[in-house]
Amino acid sequence: MMLKMEVKIPKDRIGALIGKGGKIKEAIERECGVKMEVDSGTGDVIVSTEDQANLVGLNKALNIAKAIGRGFSYERAKALYDDEYMLDIIDLTDYAGKSESNLVRIKGRIIGADGKARRIIEDLTDTYISVYGHTVSIIGKADDVKAAREAVEALAEGSLHKTVYEKLQRRRSRMKLERLQLWERRGEEFEGDIF
Amino acid sequence: MSTSTSSQEERWAIVHIYSSYNNTIVHFTDLSGAETIAISSGGRHVKADRFESSPYAAIKSAMACAEEAKRKGITSIIIKVRAVGGTGPRVPGPGLNAALRALARAGFKIARIEDVTPIPHDTTRKPGGRRGRRA
Repeated sequence: MMLKMEVKIPKDRIGALIGKGGKIKEAIERECGVKMEVDSGTGDVIVSTEDQANLVGLNKALNIAKAIGRGFSYERAKALYDDEYMLDIIDLTDYAGKSESNLVRIKGRIIGADGKARRIIEDLTDTYISVYGHTVSIIGKADDVKAAREAVEALAEGSLHKTVYEKLQRRRSRMKLERLQLWERRGEEFEGDIF
Repeated sequence: MSTSTSSQEERWAIVHIYSSYNNTIVHFTDLSGAETIAISSGGRHVKADRFESSPYAAIKSAMACAEEAKRKGITSIIIKVRAVGGTGPRVPGPGLNAALRALARAGFKIARIEDVTPIPHDTTRKPGGRRGRRA
């Protein structure tokens, strides 16, 4: 029995999803073991598979299509082939309301001058961030995505950039410390019950 | 679509997978969705709160549910995937892929998979108020 899932992506991202001569689309199909149908008129993407056991590939292909639809390049969306990585999408209309100028202002705050703010958040949390239309999308590991999400939401709500960076910096040092402590504990007695 | 009466061998269930940042819940119900066949959450399988949504916990709960459902004779499933939705995130949390993998390996016949995340047409206000969330 054929399994399928679908997603709609913006028209100007269809090209990015298909790639030159269908290159990117084919790569996704090969990598995930799925078939992908893209309706270039409406932007409907249907991902399907005949293989019952390939639910994960199906979900991954769908996520990659979503990510590309949200402004990521294929090169960056590739991270989603890895099981540990996930995609998060934040809708900025929750913060900007209906005002177009407000949305542009908030997007500007998240991107920063020459993409500085975006780059700092990406570097401090090891994530990829894309600001496209009225959404901010994040690709990364679950914990990192959560931290990046909080940072983006704080900026959208009006926190100072400084405050947000400091918070991320603190988190980073704390994680580093925890990693070190884990190594030390391993020497004494490791119960193997970290969950 | 065949129903539970179409064949003696075939027994259907709907599997609801609710995947948020805080937990993953796998829930087998009958086709009406009213009767629970098996249910398990990530929090049942790990001790620390922050691992409730981890892929490991998701696999554990999916396997626990699948086992119970098999014991009750379920052979075919429809999967309904749900993220938080509403004013919360519209994309599933970290446990989804793991849960799907466990279900795919459990040997059920999978008829359909769909996303049932509630998307509001017009919604209530996001929590936090005008001045935002103050941690």
